[in-house]
Amino acid sequence: MTDTNNATREVFGNIAPWMRVVFFIMIAASIAVLVWQVVARVWLWRKGQRGGFERDWRVWGRRLVEYALAQKRVHRKSLGAFLHLLLFSGFVVLTIGTILLGIAYDGPYNFHHGWYYLFYELTLDVFGVAFIVGCLLAMYRRAFQRKPSLGHNRSDWWLLALLLSLGITGFVVEALRIHYTQVQPDVAHWSIVGWLIDVALLRGIDLGSAQTMHLAAWWLHAILVAVFFATIPVNRFLHVITGPLNIAGRPERPMGALVALKMEEVEQTGRTGVHKVADFNRQQLLSLDSCMECGRCEDACPATATGKPLSPKAVVIDLRNLMSADGEDVHRTIHDETLWACTMCQACVQECPVLIGQVDLISDMRRDLIGEGKLSGPPAKALKQIGSQSNPYGRSNSERLAWAEGLEVPTAESNPSFEYLLWVGCAASFDPRAQKVARATAQLLKDAGVNFAVLGKEESCTGDPARRIGDEFLFQQRARTNVETLTRRDVKKIVTPCPHCYNTLKNEYPQFGGQYQVQHHSTLLSELVGTGRLSDGNSDGEPITLHDPCYLARVNGEVDATRAVIGAPNDAQYREMPRCGKKTFCCGAGGGRMWFEEAPSQRVSVLRAQEALATGARTLATACPFCLNMMTDGMAGVPGGENVKVLDIAELLLSRRPPSSSSAVF
Amino acid sequence: MAESLILIEHDRQQVKRPSLHAIALARQLGGEYALLLLGHGLEGIAASLVSYGASAVVVADDPALAEPLADRYAKVVAEAVRKGGAKTILGTSSTFSKDVLPRAAALLDAPMVTDVVAIEEMDGSISYRRPINAGSMFATVKVEGDRRILTVRATAFEPPAANAVPCPIKRFDFDAASLPNGIQFISREERRSDRPDLTEARVVVSGGRPLKDKETFERLVGGLADALGGAIGATRAAVDAGMAPNDYQIGQTGKIVAPELYIALGISGAIQHLAGIKDSRVIVAINKDPDAPIFQMATYALVGDLYEIVPQLIESIRRA
Amino acid sequence: MKILVSFKSVPDPNDVTIAGAAVSTPKSVINPFDEIAIEEALRIRERGEATEIVGVTIGAPAVDEQIRAALAMGVDCAIRIDDSRALDPYAVARILSAVVQKEAPHVVIMGKQAVDDDSNQVGQMLAGLLGWPQATFVSKIEFLDNKTRARCTRETDAGLEVVEVNLPAIITTDLRLNEPRYVSLPGLIKARRKPIEALTCDQLGVTVRPLTTVLSIARPPKRAAGTRVESVEELITKLKQEAKVL
Repeated sequence: MTDTNNATREVFGNIAPWMRVVFFIMIAASIAVLVWQVVARVWLWRKGQRGGFERDWRVWGRRLVEYALAQKRVHRKSLGAFLHLLLFSGFVVLTIGTILLGIAYDGPYNFHHGWYYLFYELTLDVFGVAFIVGCLLAMYRRAFQRKPSLGHNRSDWWLLALLLSLGITGFVVEALRIHYTQVQPDVAHWSIVGWLIDVALLRGIDLGSAQTMHLAAWWLHAILVAVFFATIPVNRFLHVITGPLNIAGRPERPMGALVALKMEEVEQTGRTGVHKVADFNRQQLLSLDSCMECGRCEDACPATATGKPLSPKAVVIDLRNLMSADGEDVHRTIHDETLWACTMCQACVQECPVLIGQVDLISDMRRDLIGEGKLSGPPAKALKQIGSQSNPYGRSNSERLAWAEGLEVPTAESNPSFEYLLWVGCAASFDPRAQKVARATAQLLKDAGVNFAVLGKEESCTGDPARRIGDEFLFQQRARTNVETLTRRDVKKIVTPCPHCYNTLKNEYPQFGGQYQVQHHSTLLSELVGTGRLSDGNSDGEPITLHDPCYLARVNGEVDATRAVIGAPNDAQYREMPRCGKKTFCCGAGGGRMWFEEAPSQRVSVLRAQEALATGARTLATACPFCLNMMTDGMAGVPGGENVKVLDIAELLLSRRPPSSSSAVF
Repeated sequence: MAESLILIEHDRQQVKRPSLHAIALARQLGGEYALLLLGHGLEGIAASLVSYGASAVVVADDPALAEPLADRYAKVVAEAVRKGGAKTILGTSSTFSKDVLPRAAALLDAPMVTDVVAIEEMDGSISYRRPINAGSMFATVKVEGDRRILTVRATAFEPPAANAVPCPIKRFDFDAASLPNGIQFISREERRSDRPDLTEARVVVSGGRPLKDKETFERLVGGLADALGGAIGATRAAVDAGMAPNDYQIGQTGKIVAPELYIALGISGAIQHLAGIKDSRVIVAINKDPDAPIFQMATYALVGDLYEIVPQLIESIRRA
Repeated sequence: MKILVSFKSVPDPNDVTIAGAAVSTPKSVINPFDEIAIEEALRIRERGEATEIVGVTIGAPAVDEQIRAALAMGVDCAIRIDDSRALDPYAVARILSAVVQKEAPHVVIMGKQAVDDDSNQVGQMLAGLLGWPQATFVSKIEFLDNKTRARCTRETDAGLEVVEVNLPAIITTDLRLNEPRYVSLPGLIKARRKPIEALTCDQLGVTVRPLTTVLSIARPPKRAAGTRVESVEELITKLKQEAKVL
């Protein structure tokens, strides 16, 4: 029985000193090639505008742990996630193992022996197997599942073959070493895979031949390592370097907030957005290189799903390719329809494991289109109407309170000591279907005895459609006007039935000095129900499901309040759609697309309606006037959809309550 | 020497009846009026105009005038006015008269008033009432000068009866060779339908998704439109479902209409559709759903099944 | 080829009130039909068929805002005839005639009518004064024979008509010609660098006096609130007697 304390192995045992020198030179050279290529990429990033990076190192730390180490965004129930876990853990462990070995070899104290050594051997072997299994699964998935969003480049197969070879040659070298150095079995079987290979395949080989074969295999492995290092930048593996850089460097900002443009900047540069790739900032250019083409953004995109010419992945890759083409107009590669097709639902941003901000890229390019006058038709009209009538519907702003007729809704004028400002939003003010949501919300607030008021004629469009479509200055004009009004009326708390107004008031108005406690009506209503100020009645026993609005659930992380308001936790008939909560699927109206024309065969709302219908629900609840509009439209476009009632959570809650003493003029 | 000269429009076969409505205004203004006809091969058409109480039917008949080229027609009109001494030149608003008469006005150094719907006389001077701002307002104007040109809105004046003593047909001679050659007629594509143009029709009947299919749409929506002499419109949903062609679409992304009477069949009233009809004078909505948003905008609302109501409606209108 | 585009500053059609014998508005815009004319000129240039687009309008200095909007769309430079009187179409045509003689464009494009006045006269009168060919209510323009002629499709009551006019000519635009591009505030900022020339009628060498005077303006009676009817008979009766539309 070998003294386990002495269990160890000789490092570089078979490698003559001159060979070791050659080896180090080779590795150094390959790393130099790697670094040189990376520096070349960094030089390209430097062509971008200064800044854009996160500065707080604590944020870096947190992010790296969450996304790079714990791989938060990668985990899910899929073959891809599983095999990546194997590859990732395998590679990390093997890398750490190699580093430890290097420290033991080169450092002052050789700790590479004893129980540490034995566990080291076992661990590396297990993770080596994991790594190889990961490679094989990846090859299988690539060959047989053939998902288009995965991307099929020649370099992908080459990379997998290289990694597999590295894994296999690693074990072959180990097996040969065990054989020719005649390691005792009780130590050898800690290097379990090598030992098994030895036992199974190498029994008959004489020691001399084995040593020669070991040398050859070792060099093969070494050369593959050098090739691997040198070629990292030309295949997907680059994300191992650039991914963590982007994960750390991406600026911390609420998901729903776009960056404000400065008027002075526009006057100086004459530019209103991104015209050539160098107009992006450096962090954005870095993010382009961190894409490893996994395709998850494309899989989640509603535009891609409905056959529109937009894939967030393609946008990132096209821009990445353009980085090498100096000064070329991005719009020659990325067409206008591609940019207009985006609903800014942020599903792509949420999916991306390396935290690329695809929506910001698209928004920056849209701003340039607007600056060049490349918008016409209904969306242009909507923007013009926001400019002249303060709402996209082109109705006179004096009609803002038409929805409240007969309801005696207090205004900031009549009730100046209000606690909550009910921000109605343009849709609920002017769209007849959505006006019912305004009425229901106001009625519920009255019944609950909430001290609220509306701005009435003083309310005007938050400017959200203008910002999403790309007219940043129209947005800023609206924002400043509204902040002025809200300040004048001394508003502290705002509640609104529209997630877009909610997002803009909460996350974007602070950019213009407007700081308020903003709630979506689902939150306030669920509080009122929870504290008993509003009774929530009973459901009608019919199957019911909920469509989470993108800007409420995904962008602002709110999923519980809507469910609480409709009594979902206690309703046996409540069921969830497959894509629900933060993984909700867009209704199609975001990104200003409410005002764009959509071909009948490409309706996002129809796709979503089909998903809702498949749950067997007879009622579809939602919490956004645009979703309400789109889902009603979508339902009417699918067979069987005419029987589904589409309602806002406020309308549902109101309809379920026992008739109260207050007259609901509805 | 007629005081007024009325430019009559024809389609090379017969008179276009709306162009006769200008005669009513000429009668209100008083004095003698002559009818002016330009074209080629006009014997039959000229003969059909003799009983409208004019002092004469003045005919400028020449191959050079076979097509209504504005530069030639305006020159001939101006010459006829100078020779005949008329002070007021009238026509009925149409693309023809709008093309020719303003140019003639410039040649005659005279002001022009478009789309007159009524006149007022005060202290011997005449003022004209006309729509402005897409008909959302009416302006009362007066003009100075020796001559003036007026076009009338056909629907504001009664068509004259052809019961007067026949008047002479006079040939108007002019130098055809001196006519300009700047415009050449190439071709004409007459609209397929007998129905009026959607954006200019007095009555529009529209259908929505409940109309099921193309045949039903044509039968009910088309049937009612024909009974009322109106145009057909459709909602985006109906167009998407293939019930109606794209150029029938009314709404924010289609046509904006402002007829005297708009009838919405099975239309719920999505805000995008309402944007296209909000300036209609009278809106009638027929829908099964009493909560349909369109009822908020309708002058008259009839809640019920359109498959029962529309045939009844067509029947009643035909009988009346 | 040099294009002259004439446009008018009109009150925003959605926000007009009557003030005496005129309309007043807090906001003015470029006449929508003229916007279509500007857009067409821009597209002609984008096709490579025009080299210069000059805009012209008549009004007080306040209309500079609309001029900036036209420049922001892409017009190269603009002339403002400084005259704040209430002019009539014939007076406008006479002023424009002097501008055309000064600028010598190959084609003049303008909207068929202004949405505040709805007269539909200026283009035709201008053509008459200059003795130039005209193509009105155009929904398609093509240049032929090395830009010596233009083939235009016209929207008439009967349908579509195609004519060819020798250049120089006056073309007035109809709704279906194109959809104008959106002008955003950033575009307006960029347009600040483009020149606007202000000229009085005297400097232009023309004296005009409007022959038409507006005496008063009134709105038609407002739409009454809707009523529910219970039967076809009731509906027809109401349409006949109350609404007087049948």
